[in-house]
Amino acid sequence: MESTLLSLAHGFSVALAPANAWYAFVGCLVGTLVGVLPGIGPLAGISILLPVTFGLNATQAIIMLAGIYYGSQYGGSTTSILMRIPGEASSVMTCIDGYAMAKKGRAGAALCIAAVGSWIGGTFGVLVLTVVAPPLATIALRFGPPEYTALLVLGLIFLAYMSSSSLIRTLLMACLGLLLGMIGIDNMTGHFRYSFDLAELGDGIGIVPVAVGLFGLGEILSTPSAGAVKDIISPRVRDLLPTRKEWSEAAMPITRGTLLGFIIGIIPGSAHIISSFLSYAVERRVAKHPEDFGKGAVAGVAGPETANNAASTGAFVPLLALGIPTSPITAVLIGALMIHGVSVGPTLVNEHPDVFWGFVASMYVGNLMLLVLNLPLVGLFVTVLRIPYAYLYPLIIMFCIIGVYEVNNSIVDVWIMLIMGVVGYALRKFDFDPAPLVLGLVIAPILEQSLRQSLIMSNGNYLIFFSRPISLSLMIFSVGLLVLAAYSFVLKRADWRTKLAEAEAGETET
Amino acid sequence: MTLRADHVAGAFFVGFGLLVLALSTDLPTGTLSLPGSGFMPKIIAVLTIFFGAVLALRGGESRPFATVTWDDVKHAGMVVAITAAAVALFERLGFLTTNVLLIFALLVVIERRRLLPAAAYSIGVVAITYVLFVYALKTPLQTGPLGF
Repeated sequence: MESTLLSLAHGFSVALAPANAWYAFVGCLVGTLVGVLPGIGPLAGISILLPVTFGLNATQAIIMLAGIYYGSQYGGSTTSILMRIPGEASSVMTCIDGYAMAKKGRAGAALCIAAVGSWIGGTFGVLVLTVVAPPLATIALRFGPPEYTALLVLGLIFLAYMSSSSLIRTLLMACLGLLLGMIGIDNMTGHFRYSFDLAELGDGIGIVPVAVGLFGLGEILSTPSAGAVKDIISPRVRDLLPTRKEWSEAAMPITRGTLLGFIIGIIPGSAHIISSFLSYAVERRVAKHPEDFGKGAVAGVAGPETANNAASTGAFVPLLALGIPTSPITAVLIGALMIHGVSVGPTLVNEHPDVFWGFVASMYVGNLMLLVLNLPLVGLFVTVLRIPYAYLYPLIIMFCIIGVYEVNNSIVDVWIMLIMGVVGYALRKFDFDPAPLVLGLVIAPILEQSLRQSLIMSNGNYLIFFSRPISLSLMIFSVGLLVLAAYSFVLKRADWRTKLAEAEAGETET
Repeated sequence: MTLRADHVAGAFFVGFGLLVLALSTDLPTGTLSLPGSGFMPKIIAVLTIFFGAVLALRGGESRPFATVTWDDVKHAGMVVAITAAAVALFERLGFLTTNVLLIFALLVVIERRRLLPAAAYSIGVVAITYVLFVYALKTPLQTGPLGF
């Protein structure tokens, strides 16, 4: 523990260096804007701004990009509360009660509760990350191919199980992503797969063009500018402070959201999205007056907003300790570090202490910056929302092109982005969520390699996954989730996920 | 029988999985003790076919295909066409010229904005972005035949 505190103190000396603190501030500011602007989520935002970090060192790059990630979780609540438009997916649940509070004249209080809840969730996440990540990295050194295979399979099944849309749709998207991840040279045999004689496809399809295409361009194609004009409720600064009653109503949801969000965050999947949905469901279930939900319940804002921030911090635990991306966003962050010559994994804490501890300490600083930044500057962010969408989306398309091209200086990547934009548009038409596709693409190479290595190690015996303690535990968890999913599928029982999806659909229609 | 959205989506994924299997014929599957390069793609393709079939079979619960709205397809098609033209020109004309033309075309052709404000906006934002990337962030951008 003493060595952890000493290392953290070293991290603060790195994070508070003027240049690093500046990039944390820039990341938080840009992240808030990314969260505020509908149609550009954290994944597209980070991908587009990846080239901006090429001139920085690895520590500054990861500090800035992570700032964009957790900054967007704060910013997403602004549009949800003031316009009933989720700035990004994890703020969907905030729309329901946040906007209802705004219509009652409590927009300022809703924003304040969202910001404070986000700060508490984010800071708690960093505290646990500080304590848990280094010892977990030591344990992870014992992970072999079977353990990695079991962990990734669990991540996919967990993502499908937690999805409130449909298990089959989520698995189909993950399969599509895994297939896209198979394109290029097979690392173990050197075979070219599905590259159609295009040399550029030899290295496979990158995460950035797919993510920017699906989430950046795809969103623009689905949003005609004529339909993008919405009423904005402007909060008055003097109304920012919640009443004592509102604080007391928010206290327990914030506590529950913090714990729930962090736990969901460390499990592979689109944690920040799932956690906010789950937190809303929990709050409604434990509420004394569940009928208030949808009409401006404070708990409906406090819980989900806290949970999504705690989850976005929790997602860094497997990233830093195991080197496993648990979401498309953390995968892009790994890519950013690799561009700077830093390989992420259990050895990161020892080989690059400046990067590891500087990054951890910067999250304490960044979360505090966001709290200070979000409330007084809410008027500025509302002004940004007044820019006509017709002028905004051409700018986003330009940044999409620069962002994708600059990563590899490859025009083929830009064409892939364009194709994925069209795919994203079509997927939205048929109610598919593209996030599992990107996760599938990200984990495809790791999953394939660890599965094949495991089979080679065991001379083709699948029981290797059930004969080692860690992989056995993970597989039992996976099988348990599958049995639970099959149970409700066969009996056609409407379990809590189905009910939640129905409730969301109902809310959207009103 | 009413054609449902999930019938169409499921059929697409079944077809896609079959296409992947057809494209994988030259990839060796290998054995369980020594899996080849076609091992994993074929497993995933079969899973895609299976899940696609399940989606189609349970399609009766989804909304009718006829109710899928396509009223934004013209806007989307025009954005894709103009962006595709910009991508085709990007390496020939460079960052500045291509993006000024891209933003100008999107504003004038799709958004029906007046020529002068559209020109001023497109030149302004592209110039600011160029200065930001090249001078402030030291990130070189694609140059055209005139060196910018």
